[in-house]
Amino acid sequence: MTHLKATLAAVILIGTALGSAAQAGAPAADLTISFTGIAEQQGAVLGAVFDSEAAYNGGGKPVRTIMVAASKAEVAAQLNGLAPGTYAIKAFHDVDGDQQMGTNPFGMPIEPFAFSNNAQGQMGPAKWADAKFDVTPGTNSQSIIIR
Amino acid sequence: MSDLDRRQFIATGLLTGAALITPDMALAGASPPDWALGVADVEADVPHEVLQLVMGKVPAGLAATLYRNGPAKFRRGTGASGHWFDGDGLVRKFRVADGRATLVARFVDTPKRRLETKLDAIVQPGFGTGARAGSVVGGPDDANASNTSVLMAGGQLLALWEGGSPSVLDPETLATRGFKTFRRDLKQMPFLAHPRVEPDGTIWNLGGNGEGTFVWKLHPDGSLAQGQMISVERNSYFHDFTATARHLIIVLQPWVQEGFSFPLSEAMRWRPELGTRVLVIDKDDLTKRRTFELPAFSFFHLADGWEERDGTIRFDGCLEADPIFGQRGASALLRGEYVKAPSPMLTQIVLRPDGKADMQTTRIAAEFPSSDKRVAGQARQFTTHVTNYRGPFPHGIAMWDWSRGRDDRFDFGDQQLVEEFLFVPLGAGEREGWLLGTTLNLAERKTELHLIDAAHVAAGPIATWRASLPLPLTFHGTIG
Repeated sequence: MTHLKATLAAVILIGTALGSAAQAGAPAADLTISFTGIAEQQGAVLGAVFDSEAAYNGGGKPVRTIMVAASKAEVAAQLNGLAPGTYAIKAFHDVDGDQQMGTNPFGMPIEPFAFSNNAQGQMGPAKWADAKFDVTPGTNSQSIIIR
Repeated sequence: MSDLDRRQFIATGLLTGAALITPDMALAGASPPDWALGVADVEADVPHEVLQLVMGKVPAGLAATLYRNGPAKFRRGTGASGHWFDGDGLVRKFRVADGRATLVARFVDTPKRRLETKLDAIVQPGFGTGARAGSVVGGPDDANASNTSVLMAGGQLLALWEGGSPSVLDPETLATRGFKTFRRDLKQMPFLAHPRVEPDGTIWNLGGNGEGTFVWKLHPDGSLAQGQMISVERNSYFHDFTATARHLIIVLQPWVQEGFSFPLSEAMRWRPELGTRVLVIDKDDLTKRRTFELPAFSFFHLADGWEERDGTIRFDGCLEADPIFGQRGASALLRGEYVKAPSPMLTQIVLRPDGKADMQTTRIAAEFPSSDKRVAGQARQFTTHVTNYRGPFPHGIAMWDWSRGRDDRFDFGDQQLVEEFLFVPLGAGEREGWLLGTTLNLAERKTELHLIDAAHVAAGPIATWRASLPLPLTFHGTIG
């Protein structure tokens, strides 16, 4: 099992950086992210938004973080003032509200998680290439099924 | 053969795909061997049916349910599982009561089976199967085949794998209810297919191979009593462990994981120079442990152990000189190939109070050891096992008598592949009762259920029932 542990332990590392303000001078882009399929209506959905493959793969901090109460089967987060560009999101349902991705004694994730585009990983997080999406000036949306 | 003939032959061979035939397959012949029925696919659940009594008479008052589990779907689209251990679990329920026998069988409805059905392809990784395009593994239970054994606990039938959680089945309908979560933080945890059950119903099990393993202790109702990670200090593969009334016994064979890759069967290395180590752990204090060193052997299965007054511990197992069967033999079966591997030999291991250990072989090729569960952890005289291997599978069933050093054995013949038999007690003694088990009849192309008097195994079945269809070979079962 160690092989799975090694890869899955790193599945979702949510950055602790707080969402930064939109960069001055950038054209406005807004993103609505809906999270559906929330089975247990407690705790919160936590997400991290990355703007580069390097950051997404653990080499940098997210440009925004998300925290939205998981009070319904479907909840949404609104991110305003994003710089247009390519992004990817890692999210998980923090069912027990400890603001950490719960793991079992072998380090396996035990709280539901998901990625933008509903990309799925194989013994690890979904790849940037599968999870990335474009944010253009104006309104944008992304729907993520938490499971 | 002239050069021209040879060129022609080779060209024809390439066109017909003969170039893909390996030497093993060439030896086995071009057409699939008869025993391939033992690893054939089942396409659908088996509805409830009354079995045909083909021989003998059913003893009055016999009422028993035999649940069995084994892989039964290995091939989808143009692909196939890489290993016998990786097919989808088909749980079979044989019920003998009121003088008749019935069968119902259902596949465990796992995420793996759902995904592979949707894709019509084998994509999920396993013991001897690499992940393929389309694979989705967010956690071990996404690859869970629930195909190895069954355990009845607290009114739930649990279908066991080893790398992930048990699947919960309805013991009546065999409908899948999802994965068993013993505690919120113990989702996606490994749970071996060989729990050791004390006579009072307390269940011990291990989870996970490698340096760290999780010790499970469950109440008789299947709820968690305690769970704890321990280090065994060696990356050994173990499919099974054993126990006495007071101790857990973990046998650390030198088949070890080095590095991370799939499939596991190919990633693990055989390092005989390390020898085999036996770890004896106090059930009441998992930090109290002793180690014993033995010459290198490989194994899959052990039988219940016991402890004598002076502290000597005895248990038996089916020991192999090396793990070629698990590494290559069990993969080759799915291609209809027979790779010769060292026979598993029924052997008693003796751990002495002075720290010395030794092995006493019966010189009998044996697998699927079982015994009277009423004396689990206590001294016993008999071990039931399959035997008489001809080709890759056994053709006989036997009870080994450790006191007299002899087998009471019945050979079902070349046309029967024999599966695990389990003891159904009637009186107080270890032979006062029946052995209930299944075979695959290759001549009839049907699965059979047999009842044998445990005191007269050599006399053969006292009753035999036949199903309407052949089911591939199972691994393990339980009497419900």
